[in-house]
Amino acid sequence: MASNAAVPFWRAAGMTYITYSNICANLVRNCLKEPYKAEALTREKVHFSIATWNDGKPEKPVLRSDTPED
Amino acid sequence: MAMAALRREGRRFAPLLSPRPIAGVRSSLVSEEDAPFGTRSISTQVVRNRMKSVRNIQKITKAMKMVAASKLRAIQVRAENSRGMWQPFTALLGDTPSVDVKKNVIVTISSDKGLCGGINSTSVKISKALHKLSSGPEKETKYVVLGEKAKAQLVRDSKKDILLTISELQKNPLNYTQVSVLADDILKNVEFDALRIIFNKFHSVVSFLPTMSTILSPEIIEREAEAGGKLGELDSYEIEGGETKAEILQNLAEFQFSCVLFNAVLENATSEQGARMSAMDSSSRNAGEMLDRLTLTYNRTRQASITTELIEIISGASALEG
Repeated sequence: MASNAAVPFWRAAGMTYITYSNICANLVRNCLKEPYKAEALTREKVHFSIATWNDGKPEKPVLRSDTPED
Repeated sequence: MAMAALRREGRRFAPLLSPRPIAGVRSSLVSEEDAPFGTRSISTQVVRNRMKSVRNIQKITKAMKMVAASKLRAIQVRAENSRGMWQPFTALLGDTPSVDVKKNVIVTISSDKGLCGGINSTSVKISKALHKLSSGPEKETKYVVLGEKAKAQLVRDSKKDILLTISELQKNPLNYTQVSVLADDILKNVEFDALRIIFNKFHSVVSFLPTMSTILSPEIIEREAEAGGKLGELDSYEIEGGETKAEILQNLAEFQFSCVLFNAVLENATSEQGARMSAMDSSSRNAGEMLDRLTLTYNRTRQASITTELIEIISGASALEG
Protein backbone atom coordinates (compact mmCIF):
# COMPACT_ATOMS: atom_id res chain seq x y z
CA MET A 1 0.00 0.00 0.00
CA ALA A 2 2.60 2.50 -1.08
CA SER A 3 1.28 6.02 -0.89
CA ASN A 4 1.48 7.80 -4.17
CA ALA A 5 -0.60 10.71 -2.98
CA ALA A 6 1.28 13.88 -2.15
CA VAL A 7 2.02 14.28 1.52
CA PRO A 8 0.36 17.26 3.18
CA PHE A 9 2.39 20.44 3.21
CA TRP A 10 3.22 20.22 6.87
CA ARG A 11 4.51 16.70 6.65
CA ALA A 12 6.70 17.71 3.76
CA ALA A 13 8.04 20.58 5.88
CA GLY A 14 9.19 18.14 8.53
CA MET A 15 6.46 18.65 11.10
CA THR A 16 4.73 15.86 12.87
CA TYR A 17 1.01 15.76 13.30
CA ILE A 18 1.49 16.85 16.88
CA THR A 19 3.24 20.07 15.89
CA TYR A 20 0.57 20.70 13.28
CA SER A 21 -2.29 20.27 15.73
CA ASN A 22 -0.53 22.43 18.30
CA ILE A 23 -0.18 25.27 15.85
CA CYS A 24 -3.84 24.94 14.89
CA ALA A 25 -4.81 24.93 18.56
CA ASN A 26 -2.72 28.02 19.14
CA LEU A 27 -4.52 29.76 16.30
CA VAL A 28 -7.85 28.87 17.83
CA ARG A 29 -6.75 30.13 21.22
CA ASN A 30 -5.70 33.41 19.72
CA CYS A 31 -9.19 33.87 18.35
CA LEU A 32 -10.65 34.18 21.82
CA LYS A 33 -11.54 37.49 23.38
CA GLU A 34 -10.07 38.78 26.60
CA PRO A 35 -10.06 37.68 29.43
CA TYR A 36 -10.53 34.13 28.19
CA LYS A 37 -7.66 34.58 25.82
CA ALA A 38 -5.14 35.22 28.59
CA GLU A 39 -6.48 32.22 30.50
CA ALA A 40 -6.20 29.98 27.50
CA LEU A 41 -2.71 31.14 26.69
CA THR A 42 -1.54 30.19 30.16
CA ARG A 43 -2.46 26.66 29.21
CA GLU A 44 0.18 26.77 26.55
CA LYS A 45 3.25 27.34 28.63
CA VAL A 46 6.00 24.87 27.90
CA HIS A 47 8.90 24.27 30.22
CA PHE A 48 11.12 21.26 30.49
CA SER A 49 14.76 20.38 30.24
CA ILE A 50 15.84 17.54 28.00
CA ALA A 51 19.24 15.90 27.75
CA THR A 52 20.31 13.37 25.16
CA TRP A 53 22.59 10.59 26.31
CA ASN A 54 25.37 9.08 24.25
CA ASP A 55 26.98 5.90 25.46
CA GLY A 56 26.05 6.50 29.04
CA LYS A 57 27.12 10.11 29.13
CA PRO A 58 24.64 12.94 29.20
CA GLU A 59 25.20 15.93 27.05
CA LYS A 60 24.38 19.40 28.14
CA PRO A 61 20.66 19.63 28.81
CA VAL A 62 18.61 21.84 26.58
CA LEU A 63 16.00 23.93 28.31
CA ARG A 64 12.90 24.12 26.21
CA SER A 65 10.90 26.96 27.59
CA ASP A 66 9.14 28.13 24.50
CA THR A 67 5.64 28.30 23.22
CA PRO A 68 4.83 25.82 20.54
CA GLU A 69 4.66 28.44 17.85
CA ASP A 70 8.35 28.05 17.17
CA MET B 1 15.50 23.47 106.53
CA ALA B 2 14.06 20.66 104.51
CA MET B 3 11.25 22.98 103.47
CA ALA B 4 13.67 25.57 102.20
CA ALA B 5 15.45 22.92 100.23
CA LEU B 6 12.18 21.75 98.73
CA ARG B 7 11.27 25.27 97.76
CA ARG B 8 14.59 25.64 96.05
CA GLU B 9 13.85 22.36 94.36
CA GLY B 10 10.57 23.74 92.97
CA ARG B 11 12.33 26.77 91.59
CA ARG B 12 14.85 24.65 89.80
CA PHE B 13 12.61 23.85 86.89
CA ALA B 14 11.44 27.34 86.08
CA PRO B 15 14.58 28.99 84.74
CA LEU B 16 16.19 26.00 83.19
CA LEU B 17 19.42 27.51 82.09
CA SER B 18 20.07 29.77 85.07
CA PRO B 19 23.59 29.32 86.38
CA ARG B 20 22.63 30.33 89.92
CA PRO B 21 24.80 28.32 92.25
CA ILE B 22 22.35 26.87 94.73
CA ALA B 23 23.96 25.24 97.71
CA GLY B 24 24.04 21.53 97.35
CA VAL B 25 22.64 21.61 93.85
CA ARG B 26 25.09 21.60 91.05
CA SER B 27 23.35 21.72 87.78
CA SER B 28 25.43 19.75 85.45
CA LEU B 29 24.99 19.57 81.76
CA VAL B 30 26.29 16.07 81.73
CA SER B 31 24.00 13.74 79.87
CA GLU B 32 22.42 10.89 81.68
CA GLU B 33 24.35 8.32 79.66
CA ASP B 34 27.83 9.21 80.89
CA ALA B 35 27.59 9.94 84.60
CA PRO B 36 31.08 10.66 85.85
CA PHE B 37 32.08 10.76 89.40
CA GLY B 38 30.45 13.51 91.39
CA THR B 39 27.37 14.35 89.36
CA ARG B 40 24.57 15.55 91.38
CA SER B 41 21.65 15.96 89.01
CA ILE B 42 20.67 14.21 85.83
CA SER B 43 20.00 16.55 82.96
CA THR B 44 16.84 16.31 80.95
CA GLN B 45 18.22 18.66 78.35
CA VAL B 46 19.07 15.99 75.85
CA VAL B 47 15.63 14.43 75.91
CA ARG B 48 14.04 17.85 75.77
CA ASN B 49 15.99 18.76 72.66
CA ARG B 50 15.01 15.55 70.97
CA MET B 51 11.38 16.15 71.81
CA LYS B 52 11.54 19.63 70.35
CA SER B 53 13.01 18.46 67.08
CA VAL B 54 10.60 15.54 66.75
CA ARG B 55 7.72 17.89 67.39
CA ASN B 56 8.93 20.22 64.65
CA ILE B 57 9.26 17.37 62.22
CA GLN B 58 5.75 16.27 63.05
CA LYS B 59 4.42 19.73 62.28
CA ILE B 60 6.28 19.87 58.99
CA THR B 61 5.08 16.50 57.81
CA LYS B 62 1.53 17.36 58.77
CA ALA B 63 1.77 20.54 56.72
CA MET B 64 3.19 18.64 53.77
CA LYS B 65 0.32 16.21 53.98
CA MET B 66 -2.21 19.05 53.83
CA VAL B 67 -0.46 20.58 50.85
CA ALA B 68 -0.37 17.26 49.04
CA ALA B 69 -4.06 16.68 49.79
CA SER B 70 -5.05 20.00 48.28
CA LYS B 71 -2.88 19.50 45.21
CA LEU B 72 -4.28 16.01 44.82
CA ARG B 73 -7.83 17.24 44.59
CA ALA B 74 -7.03 19.63 41.77
CA ILE B 75 -4.97 17.30 39.68
CA GLN B 76 -7.19 14.26 40.18
CA VAL B 77 -9.99 15.99 38.34
CA ARG B 78 -7.70 16.73 35.42
CA ALA B 79 -6.33 13.20 35.29
CA GLU B 80 -9.80 11.69 35.22
CA ASN B 81 -10.87 14.07 32.49
CA SER B 82 -7.84 13.24 30.41
CA ARG B 83 -8.72 9.57 30.37
CA GLY B 84 -11.19 10.33 27.63
CA MET B 85 -8.38 11.25 25.30
CA TRP B 86 -6.90 7.84 24.78
CA GLN B 87 -9.99 5.72 25.10
CA PRO B 88 -11.04 6.23 21.47
CA PHE B 89 -7.59 5.17 20.40
CA THR B 90 -7.78 1.98 22.34
CA ALA B 91 -11.21 1.36 20.91
CA LEU B 92 -9.86 1.83 17.41
CA LEU B 93 -6.39 0.41 17.53
CA GLY B 94 -6.47 -1.88 20.54
CA ASP B 95 -3.79 -2.16 23.18
CA THR B 96 -1.37 -4.95 22.46
CA PRO B 97 1.21 -5.27 25.19
CA SER B 98 2.30 -8.65 23.96
CA VAL B 99 3.40 -7.52 20.53
CA ASP B 100 6.80 -8.80 19.58
CA VAL B 101 9.02 -6.11 18.14
CA LYS B 102 12.67 -5.54 17.60
CA LYS B 103 13.07 -2.05 18.96
CA ASN B 104 11.42 -1.29 22.24
CA VAL B 105 11.67 2.06 23.88
CA ILE B 106 10.59 2.22 27.50
CA VAL B 107 9.34 5.61 28.63
CA THR B 108 9.52 5.71 32.41
CA ILE B 109 7.60 8.45 34.15
CA SER B 110 8.59 9.51 37.63
CA SER B 111 8.59 12.57 39.82
CA ASP B 112 11.21 15.23 40.28
CA LYS B 113 10.69 15.64 43.99
CA GLY B 114 11.10 13.06 46.67
CA LEU B 115 9.29 12.14 49.89
CA CYS B 116 6.56 10.46 47.92
CA GLY B 117 6.73 6.89 49.12
CA GLY B 118 7.71 4.05 46.85
CA ILE B 119 6.07 4.93 43.56
CA ASN B 120 9.25 5.86 41.76
CA SER B 121 10.96 2.68 42.88
CA THR B 122 8.09 0.55 41.61
CA SER B 123 8.17 2.30 38.25
CA VAL B 124 11.88 1.68 37.91
CA LYS B 125 11.49 -1.93 39.00
CA ILE B 126 8.85 -2.57 36.36
CA SER B 127 10.95 -0.82 33.74
CA LYS B 128 13.93 -2.98 34.51
CA ALA B 129 11.81 -6.12 34.46
CA LEU B 130 10.39 -5.09 31.11
CA HIS B 131 13.84 -4.45 29.82
CA LYS B 132 14.91 -7.94 30.78
CA LEU B 133 11.75 -9.43 29.37
CA SER B 134 12.07 -7.76 26.02
CA SER B 135 15.74 -8.32 25.47
CA GLY B 136 16.92 -11.10 23.29
CA PRO B 137 18.80 -11.75 20.08
CA GLU B 138 18.40 -8.89 17.61
CA LYS B 139 16.19 -7.02 20.01
CA GLU B 140 17.00 -3.67 21.41
CA THR B 141 15.50 -1.95 24.42
CA LYS B 142 16.24 1.60 25.41
CA TYR B 143 15.01 4.04 28.03
CA VAL B 144 13.56 7.50 27.89
CA VAL B 145 13.36 8.81 31.43
CA LEU B 146 11.04 11.55 32.66
CA GLY B 147 11.80 12.86 36.10
CA GLU B 148 14.84 13.05 38.32
CA LYS B 149 14.05 10.17 40.63
CA ALA B 150 13.96 7.47 37.99
CA LYS B 151 17.03 8.93 36.35
CA ALA B 152 18.99 8.63 39.57
CA GLN B 153 18.00 4.98 39.92
CA LEU B 154 18.46 3.96 36.31
CA VAL B 155 21.80 5.66 35.92
CA ARG B 156 23.27 3.24 38.39
CA ASP B 157 23.11 0.17 36.24
CA SER B 158 21.53 0.97 32.89
CA LYS B 159 23.54 3.99 31.84
CA LYS B 160 24.22 2.74 28.35
CA ASP B 161 20.59 2.15 27.57
CA ILE B 162 19.32 5.63 28.28
CA LEU B 163 18.44 7.71 25.26
CA LEU B 164 16.88 10.83 26.74
CA THR B 165 16.24 12.25 30.16
CA ILE B 166 13.72 14.95 30.83
CA SER B 167 13.30 16.98 33.98
CA GLU B 168 11.63 20.12 35.34
CA LEU B 169 8.38 19.06 33.83
CA GLN B 170 6.19 20.28 36.66
CA LYS B 171 7.53 23.79 36.94
CA ASN B 172 4.38 25.15 35.34
CA PRO B 173 1.07 23.41 35.80
CA LEU B 174 0.89 20.45 33.47
CA ASN B 175 -0.82 21.14 30.20
CA TYR B 176 -1.29 19.29 26.97
CA THR B 177 0.89 21.62 24.93
CA GLN B 178 3.92 20.94 27.07
CA VAL B 179 3.49 17.20 26.96
CA SER B 180 2.87 17.24 23.25
CA VAL B 181 6.04 19.22 22.60
CA LEU B 182 7.83 16.63 24.69
CA ALA B 183 6.22 13.82 22.72
CA ASP B 184 7.30 15.52 19.55
CA ASP B 185 10.88 15.70 20.79
CA ILE B 186 10.82 12.03 21.67
CA LEU B 187 9.38 11.06 18.31
CA LYS B 188 11.99 13.05 16.48
CA ASN B 189 14.96 11.73 18.40
CA VAL B 190 14.05 8.15 18.95
CA GLU B 191 13.66 5.23 16.61
CA PHE B 192 11.19 2.73 17.82
CA ASP B 193 8.95 -0.09 16.83
CA ALA B 194 6.98 0.03 20.02
CA LEU B 195 6.87 2.54 22.83
CA ARG B 196 6.10 1.29 26.30
CA ILE B 197 5.00 3.98 28.70
CA ILE B 198 5.33 3.02 32.37
CA PHE B 199 3.51 5.13 34.91
CA ASN B 200 1.54 4.82 38.14
CA LYS B 201 -2.13 4.85 37.42
CA PHE B 202 -4.25 6.49 40.05
CA HIS B 203 -7.07 4.29 41.26
CA SER B 204 -7.68 5.82 44.65
CA VAL B 205 -5.87 7.77 47.33
CA VAL B 206 -4.29 4.64 48.71
CA SER B 207 -3.85 2.60 45.56
CA PHE B 208 -1.61 3.50 42.65
CA LEU B 209 -0.76 0.64 40.38
CA PRO B 210 2.11 0.67 37.92
CA THR B 211 0.68 0.45 34.45
CA MET B 212 2.12 0.00 31.01
CA SER B 213 0.68 1.48 27.83
CA THR B 214 1.89 0.38 24.44
CA ILE B 215 2.09 2.56 21.37
CA LEU B 216 3.07 0.95 18.12
CA SER B 217 4.78 2.64 15.27
CA PRO B 218 2.82 2.85 12.00
CA GLU B 219 4.89 0.17 10.34
CA ILE B 220 4.18 -2.29 13.11
CA ILE B 221 0.51 -1.40 12.98
CA GLU B 222 0.54 -2.36 9.31
CA ARG B 223 2.28 -5.58 10.12
CA GLU B 224 -0.15 -6.45 12.88
CA ALA B 225 -3.09 -5.48 10.72
CA GLU B 226 -2.14 -8.22 8.33
CA ALA B 227 -2.16 -10.66 11.20
CA GLY B 228 -5.81 -9.92 11.84
CA GLY B 229 -7.54 -9.04 15.03
CA LYS B 230 -8.64 -5.57 15.90
CA LEU B 231 -6.13 -3.89 13.68
CA GLY B 232 -7.18 -6.02 10.78
CA GLU B 233 -10.60 -4.42 10.90
CA LEU B 234 -9.11 -1.05 10.05
CA ASP B 235 -9.61 -1.81 6.41
CA SER B 236 -13.34 -1.78 6.85
CA TYR B 237 -13.21 1.96 7.61
CA GLU B 238 -13.76 4.36 4.78
CA ILE B 239 -11.16 7.06 4.39
CA GLU B 240 -12.33 10.50 3.43
CA GLY B 241 -10.14 13.20 2.08
CA GLY B 242 -7.07 12.73 0.01
CA GLU B 243 -5.00 10.79 2.48
CA THR B 244 -3.91 7.24 2.30
CA LYS B 245 -4.23 4.70 5.05
CA ALA B 246 -0.53 4.87 5.79
CA GLU B 247 -0.74 8.63 6.17
CA ILE B 248 -3.66 8.39 8.52
CA LEU B 249 -2.02 5.65 10.54
CA GLN B 250 1.05 7.78 11.01
CA ASN B 251 -0.99 10.78 12.14
CA LEU B 252 -2.99 8.59 14.46
CA ALA B 253 0.07 6.94 15.95
CA GLU B 254 1.67 10.29 16.71
CA PHE B 255 -1.46 11.73 18.19
CA GLN B 256 -2.07 8.57 20.18
CA PHE B 257 1.37 8.82 21.69
CA SER B 258 0.80 12.43 22.64
CA CYS B 259 -2.58 11.71 24.25
CA VAL B 260 -1.43 8.63 26.11
CA LEU B 261 1.67 10.43 27.36
CA PHE B 262 -0.45 13.33 28.59
CA ASN B 263 -2.73 11.03 30.51
CA ALA B 264 0.22 9.08 31.86
CA VAL B 265 1.96 12.21 33.10
CA LEU B 266 -1.20 13.45 34.81
CA GLU B 267 -1.93 10.10 36.42
CA ASN B 268 1.61 9.84 37.67
CA ALA B 269 1.43 13.33 39.13
CA THR B 270 -1.82 12.41 40.90
CA SER B 271 -0.28 9.22 42.23
CA GLU B 272 2.73 11.21 43.39
CA GLN B 273 0.55 13.53 45.45
CA GLY B 274 -1.43 10.64 46.86
CA ALA B 275 1.72 8.73 47.78
CA ARG B 276 3.20 11.81 49.37
CA MET B 277 0.04 12.27 51.42
CA SER B 278 0.18 8.77 52.80
CA ALA B 279 3.93 8.91 53.35
CA MET B 280 3.69 12.15 55.28
CA ASP B 281 0.73 10.83 57.21
CA SER B 282 2.61 7.75 58.40
CA SER B 283 5.61 9.95 59.12
CA SER B 284 3.52 12.22 61.39
CA ARG B 285 2.11 9.20 63.13
CA ASN B 286 5.57 7.78 63.73
CA ALA B 287 6.73 11.13 65.04
CA GLY B 288 3.77 11.16 67.42
CA GLU B 289 4.65 7.72 68.73
CA MET B 290 8.27 8.71 69.12
CA LEU B 291 7.15 11.78 71.01
CA ASP B 292 5.09 9.61 73.38
CA ARG B 293 8.06 7.37 74.10
CA LEU B 294 10.32 10.36 74.64
CA THR B 295 7.81 11.93 77.00
CA LEU B 296 7.83 8.81 79.12
CA THR B 297 11.61 8.78 79.20
CA TYR B 298 11.61 12.46 80.07
CA ASN B 299 9.24 11.97 82.97
CA ARG B 300 11.21 9.03 84.28
CA THR B 301 14.43 11.01 84.12
CA ARG B 302 12.85 14.00 85.77
CA GLN B 303 11.38 11.96 88.59
CA ALA B 304 14.64 10.11 89.12
CA SER B 305 16.52 13.37 89.45
CA ILE B 306 13.96 14.75 91.90
CA THR B 307 14.27 11.61 93.99
CA THR B 308 18.04 11.87 93.95
CA GLU B 309 17.84 15.48 95.07
CA LEU B 310 15.50 14.62 97.91
CA ILE B 311 17.66 11.76 99.10
CA GLU B 312 20.74 13.94 99.14
CA ILE B 313 19.03 16.74 100.95
CA ILE B 314 17.45 14.53 103.52
CA SER B 315 20.56 12.52 104.11
CA GLY B 316 22.52 15.75 104.36
CA ALA B 317 20.03 17.08 106.88
CA SER B 318 20.06 13.95 108.92
CA ALA B 319 23.86 13.91 108.89
CA LEU B 320 23.84 17.41 110.36
CA GLU B 321 21.41 16.48 113.07
CA GLY B 322 22.92 13.22 113.94
